[in-house]
Amino acid sequence: MLRLIVGRLLFSVATLLLVGLILFLLTRLLADTPARIVLGIEASEAQIAVFNRDHGLDRPILTQYLDWLGRIVLQGDFGKSFITGLAMNAELARSMPITFELVVLAFVFALALALPLGILSAVLEGRSIDHVARVFAVAGVSIPGFWLGLMLIRFFAVEWGWFPPGGFSPLSSGLGPHLRSVSLPAFALGIYYVAILSRMTRSSLLEVLGTDYVRTARSLGLPRWRVLIYALKNALPPVVSIAAMSFGYMFGWALIVEHVFNIPGMSRALLTAIGQRDYFMVQTVVYVFTAIFIAANLIADVLNRALNPKLAGAG
Amino acid sequence: MNDFDPDRRKLMKAVAAGTAGLAATPWLATLVHAQPNQGKTLSITLPNNPVTIDPINQLNHDSMVLGQTVFENLVEFGVDGVLRPQLAKALPTVSADRKTYTFELRDDVAFQNGQKLTAEDVKYSFDYLLNPDNKASRRGIFTRIAKVTVLSPTKVQFDLSEPYHPWLYFLTKYMGIYPVGSREKHGGDYFKSGPIGVGTGPGIFEEWRANDYISFKKNPNYWQKGLPAWDRLLVRLIPEDSVRVAYLMTGQADIISAPPPREFNRLKSFPGIAGASQPTLGGWFAMMTNTTKPPFDDVNFRKAVSCAIDRQAISDKVYHGLLEPSGLPAPARGWWFDKASSDSVSFDLEKAKAYLAQSKYPTGASFDMIIPAEPYLLDVKDAALVVQSQLAKLDIKANVQVAEFNVLVQKMIRGEHTATLMIIMSPGEPSYLIQVTMTQGQVMTKSTGYQNPKLDDLLRRAFAEEEQDKLKPIYAEMQQLLAAELPLVLLGFVHAANLWRQNVKNFKPSLGLTMSVRDVQI
Repeated sequence: MLRLIVGRLLFSVATLLLVGLILFLLTRLLADTPARIVLGIEASEAQIAVFNRDHGLDRPILTQYLDWLGRIVLQGDFGKSFITGLAMNAELARSMPITFELVVLAFVFALALALPLGILSAVLEGRSIDHVARVFAVAGVSIPGFWLGLMLIRFFAVEWGWFPPGGFSPLSSGLGPHLRSVSLPAFALGIYYVAILSRMTRSSLLEVLGTDYVRTARSLGLPRWRVLIYALKNALPPVVSIAAMSFGYMFGWALIVEHVFNIPGMSRALLTAIGQRDYFMVQTVVYVFTAIFIAANLIADVLNRALNPKLAGAG
Repeated sequence: MNDFDPDRRKLMKAVAAGTAGLAATPWLATLVHAQPNQGKTLSITLPNNPVTIDPINQLNHDSMVLGQTVFENLVEFGVDGVLRPQLAKALPTVSADRKTYTFELRDDVAFQNGQKLTAEDVKYSFDYLLNPDNKASRRGIFTRIAKVTVLSPTKVQFDLSEPYHPWLYFLTKYMGIYPVGSREKHGGDYFKSGPIGVGTGPGIFEEWRANDYISFKKNPNYWQKGLPAWDRLLVRLIPEDSVRVAYLMTGQADIISAPPPREFNRLKSFPGIAGASQPTLGGWFAMMTNTTKPPFDDVNFRKAVSCAIDRQAISDKVYHGLLEPSGLPAPARGWWFDKASSDSVSFDLEKAKAYLAQSKYPTGASFDMIIPAEPYLLDVKDAALVVQSQLAKLDIKANVQVAEFNVLVQKMIRGEHTATLMIIMSPGEPSYLIQVTMTQGQVMTKSTGYQNPKLDDLLRRAFAEEEQDKLKPIYAEMQQLLAAELPLVLLGFVHAANLWRQNVKNFKPSLGLTMSVRDVQI
């Protein structure tokens, strides 16, 4: 297990270094310069040259990259946005908890709904609940998140007034307003993964329920619930893998959800930064997303090893 | 089959504890999100993310409401397009040679830090703006100010290098008065993202939450007694059209800008909602044609394109009335509008065919027409397709290409484009964009590639006059010249449009496009 974790950590570091370099290449090779945004359309070429020099944008890309990386590793400093003038660390501290909460709520919601739905579909295969779950799953993966978000706003906020149309109310404004402000975004973000995870749970459980040892357990007269628990333990590893990856993917999907619901989280910051050519902000957010995704995969690997003794033995 | 072994149980417990910890993240979010102040709050929305509050570096008209809440000017361009004194007691006295402007300042104005406004502050503000080292992006339109002299604590004189009366119109949008020494004391970023105490305006900067909102609190010592009527101004940043509308419908916003044109008329008749629009005097919707490149190097081809575009159809079908058609860079409601000149290059398919036959490209031509990817004031994508289909009737093929706004602008500045279709905004007087796009030595000179000493002379004559009666024939002559040579193809002037809740009083769309909230009551 230790070897797995160390190996994965080394791989993760290498991935982060590579992602950082690719990000630098992609953002710096764009034809435009952020100076035009900061100084305005009437800025002269000389003014733009001064801006680029002041912000180190005229140095070789590799030098800029190493400088940026050095500051993160040695000082934990992600730098400062030259578009907004705000410190990146402060931006992360402000926006990251919001996105993190949104994703966690969506993830918990997805798991809480997907697992029972998948188990019921498998146990009651071919029955009406299975058909309903299938329709739900097809709808869940087919409906675009953007459209779903707008429909939720249209009916639950504008028509019925049950939820606010967008924005983020901090918990200090009250538990009710806070939960109301995150409910629709978390639902819009989680519903896709309810569909994915419930179908994965169903198919994995059906496969295990059809194996010899389950038939043997039944023939020995074990109660159905006990057989189901045994079967579930063996059906869980692929679900755990997909769930862990889904957790990472959700940070990407949050981009759309935060945009539609006007949530001032990291994903919204990323979208704004792209539009404003705020290189440092784009790099920082994508870097953090990459780290989260890698961490989620690492946790999935560890969990699977722990859940599946065969994999654990392969250590 | 295996039972859970003790290690895995521990692991699962750890996972459960971790999940519980994650579920507690709302508390973490709370730590970094203080609750906004309560009070009589006016909530407005902007469709894009501002870059700065500093008035001398403003880029985007929507965002100018921020700077205008904190900073004020000697004169203001009112919501109705009329120039009025603001920090000055009256409009300036102007010398006979039109080169010296003298302002008498109000003596009851204090900055938000309590410091009294004096003529020294005015001189300092302009000297800072005009110093090239300070890289003010709007410096270029004020460079004819040769010297600012303090005559007394309440009197200040501006000497211009040549007559240039439009500069007064540019103050509201691109300038502000701040205290002596404030730039050096606080640094540039202070004015950009947190200018507390350095303006005389009705709102004191409070907080900027990126991608969320920017807030201001009431200036309790504002010199205009009784204003503002709100205790707090909350400027929400909401890029998505539908969400902005939803905020208005649910009372989360009191006023919204840039309403979706196709929904505008329906929404303003909703119970509890009001709305209005008025055509701007400076919101150009134009095809910027590069006259140095084929096929726009031929004046008859440019005229053919102009006469082939049915502007009224675009106004009706695409913008639902939020575009006032015009064939030349003068709005139909402007006092300087010359109808005959505009009509001569407006929609007439037969005339378009005749012009095309006289051109170097009698069988039609193909060109790339670049449009901005994101809306600025109004989205032009649908209009571009209509223009494309209208030109196709003359066998003129417009290849629509989409580019990010700043990339598009850079191409125009360098003259690398053939044509662009876009909206650009001027401060609501006749000369600004003509000067910037059709005379030499300007930042957008290459957007048309056009130059004509006769136009330069007409502009000089216009800058030297201030009375409409004398200016009108000059601008009429200018429009006749532009109709004859047509350096660019104008489609019309966009409307300033807003929707607001009916509990909002004293608000109307500003002819300057920027929302004006100082006088609003809720």
